[in-house]
Amino acid sequence: MKILIADDDALSRRLLEKTLERAGYEVTAVENGKQALEHLCKLEGPRLALLDWVMPEVDGPGVCRAVRKRSEQTYVYMVLLTSKGTKEETVLGLESGADDYLIKPFDTEELRARLRVGERILLLEDRLVEARENMRFRATHDPLTSLLNRGAIMDLLARELHRSHREKKSTTILLGDVDHFKRVNDTYGHIVGDQVLIEIANRLLGTVRSYDFVGRYGGEEFLVVLNSCDPAFAPARAEAIRKSVSNRTIQTAKGALDLTMSLGALLSSDWGLRPVEELLHEVDTALYKAKASGRDCLRIAQPITKPELTIAPLLPQLLRLRR
Amino acid sequence: MNTKVDSLSEPVWNLAELLERVDNDQELLRDLLNIFKDDFPLTMRSLELAIAAGDLKNSARLGHTLKGMLSSLGGVRTAAAAARLEVLASAGETASLKGALDALKCEAASLLPELEAYMAEVRH
Repeated sequence: MKILIADDDALSRRLLEKTLERAGYEVTAVENGKQALEHLCKLEGPRLALLDWVMPEVDGPGVCRAVRKRSEQTYVYMVLLTSKGTKEETVLGLESGADDYLIKPFDTEELRARLRVGERILLLEDRLVEARENMRFRATHDPLTSLLNRGAIMDLLARELHRSHREKKSTTILLGDVDHFKRVNDTYGHIVGDQVLIEIANRLLGTVRSYDFVGRYGGEEFLVVLNSCDPAFAPARAEAIRKSVSNRTIQTAKGALDLTMSLGALLSSDWGLRPVEELLHEVDTALYKAKASGRDCLRIAQPITKPELTIAPLLPQLLRLRR
Repeated sequence: MNTKVDSLSEPVWNLAELLERVDNDQELLRDLLNIFKDDFPLTMRSLELAIAAGDLKNSARLGHTLKGMLSSLGGVRTAAAAARLEVLASAGETASLKGALDALKCEAASLLPELEAYMAEVRH
């Protein structure tokens, strides 16, 4: 495990460095608080720190305060190591955000034991973060295909539309539906139906770029959002995505199946700030047209552009009404 | 204020404690002694200048640094003398600092030959 030592006294630093290396730590030793902060604020920086109280640039409690101010970063377990030892100083050190406090000259066994406590706390934090991330994943992803679920992709789409409007970029929305999927379930059973959905999800994910979104919109419906996608290239990209389903058979427990997908697309660079639901209704209409045209095809809807609401042109009329 | 060091019952250099702290690692011990040999005179010189200039803040800081390095090395009595000087400087006892510095030098004069002797012994 990585550990940071910050001490301006070269002798203490060397002693700590060697003691901790012997205990199996990967040690970084620095001589002032500013350097300590630089290391502790790095993304993959040490999560255990031994900080001297009196140091140039930033003192030990100052380092603790600065580290605790950061949010959304992993926890750093900090031990103040100093020759200060009054009750007031101990309280001040712990109030600054230190987790523990050791008086110099330190006892090697006690130091190691206290660092093991720190490791246990960090392990506990890792487990809590992992559990939180698992819960977050489950709340935003479809359990069968691991794609974004309907709620999550709708949220992302709304955010992306705001962003593309702000940055004057274009977004393409695709809604795909697996043709005759009910027959698969009825003929081969739901387990095979699930295998088909998983395979299609993988193919869609494999066809889009890393910054596009793919979600399971409903039973056999998939929503794909192509971010910053030039409308001139969007039809070709939509076709490639659609064909990723039909261009080779899908292997299932009951044999290989040939399946196709119908696709509705909505592409524009100028939607104004229209509600997501309204745009999805348009792309759904395009998908319906693809189904009505014999399936296994793409239909593109041209969105109705609604400029942002402004009352300026209406002002003269409003003023007349008031008279 | 009394500037006498009240730790006379302690050894000048607690080598046994230091050996335990370094896990009997002679190489590390030599490293520490070499660092001390370089840093101690420089820090002492800075302390003398700070006291001569009436710079209480730096006197306290340097007293603290000396206390840390001396206690890490097992120089118990000299560390206590440095601690006394730090306390006096922090309390603004300018008049007592010269006496505290002399006491520190006196303790160091006992400690340094012991360290030198040990280094000469382990070199052979």
